[in-house]
Order: sequence, then C-alpha cells, then structure tokens
Amino acid sequence: MAHVDRKQYMIIFLVLGVLTALEIGVVQFKSIDRTLMLVALIGLAVTKAAFVGLYYMHLKYETRILKLTIAIPMATPAVYALVLIAEATYRALFRGVS
Amino acid sequence: MWIFLLSDALSFAGLLLAYGILRGGATVWHHAADPVHHLPAEPELGIAFTAGLTFLLICSSVTMVLAYAAVVENKRKQAQLFLALTALGGILFLCGQAKEYTGLYQEGLHFGASHYATTFYCITSFHGFHVFSGTTYLIVMLIRVGMGKYDGGNYNHIEICGLFWHFVDLIWILVFTFVYLVPSAPTGG
Repeated sequence: MAHVDRKQYMIIFLVLGVLTALEIGVVQFKSIDRTLMLVALIGLAVTKAAFVGLYYMHLKYETRILKLTIAIPMATPAVYALVLIAEATYRALFRGVS
Repeated sequence: MWIFLLSDALSFAGLLLAYGILRGGATVWHHAADPVHHLPAEPELGIAFTAGLTFLLICSSVTMVLAYAAVVENKRKQAQLFLALTALGGILFLCGQAKEYTGLYQEGLHFGASHYATTFYCITSFHGFHVFSGTTYLIVMLIRVGMGKYDGGNYNHIEICGLFWHFVDLIWILVFTFVYLVPSAPTGG
C-alpha cells in the first residue's frame, strides 16, 4: 500500500539536518568526557538511521512480521558490540585481577 | 529487497565490528609524526567536508522519496526531475569521495600502511561502491520513467529502488559517525 506524506518527508528532512548539525556541534566540545560524547554521537546516529528507516523506507507502515524480520537480525551485531564493550570495560577496570 | 538489504546491512555490521575491535585494541590508532624514520603524521579525516557529503546524501534521500510520491500520484515529469536530482546527488557524492581519497593519499594515508588507513579505505570504498551501484540503478529507473513504464501509479519498482537508495544513506549515517566523528582516546583507539 503506497504511503505518501510530503509534509512528513520535509519534517524528517529538517530533523535529519538538525541532528547532523548537532553531531558536528558535539565533536567541537573537546572538553566533554569521551564516554559521554560516544553515547551522544551513537544516540544521534541511531536516531537518524531510525528516522530514515521508519519514514523514508516506510518501515513504520509495514506489517509487524516484516518489522520483526528486520529488527531481530539487526539487533544481533548491536548486542555483540555491547558484549565486546562490556568485556573490554571489565578487563580495563579489573586489570591485574585474575 | 528487504532480505537483500538485511544481508547487506550485516556485511556492513561485520566491517564496523572489525573496525571497532581493531580500534579498541590498538595502543596507537592514529600515528603521529615519526622523526626517527622520517615519517609524517597520518592525516586527520576532514569532518567538515564529509559532513557536507552527509548532508548531500540526506538531500538525495528527500528527492528520492519525492520521486516516489510523484510516481504514486502519476506525475511523470516531476518524477523524472526528482530522480535526476537524486542521481545527481549520488554523482556529486562520488566526486566528493574521489577528491577526499586523492587528498588523503597525497598527504600520506596509504592503504595497508596502518589499521587506521586500511579500515578507512575498506569501509568507505565498500559504501562508495553502493553509491555507484545506486546511482546506476537510479539512472536506469530515470530512463524507464521517461519511457512511461511507471505511468498509471505503477510504483513498485520505484519503491524498491528507493529502498536501496535510502539504505545507502542510512549506512552512511553510521559510517560517518563511527569512522569520522568518534574522537581518538588519549591513549590507544
């Protein structure tokens, strides 16, 4: 089923532009704690990617089964990345502790 | 198309995970100048220029979705205009990437010289190949729209082409963040 909403497309365009400007703004603040900056940058990128997927690729208007077919496999590398980060953090915090 | 995009997304996920593991485990990620071996510092990636390329891809995503809307509403001329603008966005992006590669190569960022250089070229060129494929796809669709193949609200092929193009934009959003924006740690990656 075709879904056309030009006003929504332009709003998403503005949101993507603002979020990109925010990303550039965040990296200018060299004094921000690096972990906080990473969380902000990844949060902004995932939000932008979600807007493109949901509204420009019309995933928001697809069936529940298609949404799950996309979301579940895509969550796998994200979970793997989190496990690796947690493992590296553990080793860094408890370095020297066997 | 969704299943193809899913497999393609997992390819990018593999590249980005490998990048993260190499960077996280590196004692030195971005090499400073080495006066002993007369080696210059590896060049920094240009955030401002690439932010421009990112915005260009976002603009091309808007024109793509407007081309889709025009085909759904059976407005052939408008669809041609927006598809042409989208393809132009892809061509400009590729020109920008070629300019960036040339500049970085001349400044000493050579494939194989370090993990920093190699992962940068691998990930961005893999994405660049997608932009090239997408632009070719768009030009073919532009010709077919001109031939009247999608008149009468026959929008399925345009929607599928749009899915691929938006995917290229979506992946770039992630590549831009991880490869260009994430700052180096004071020590290591």
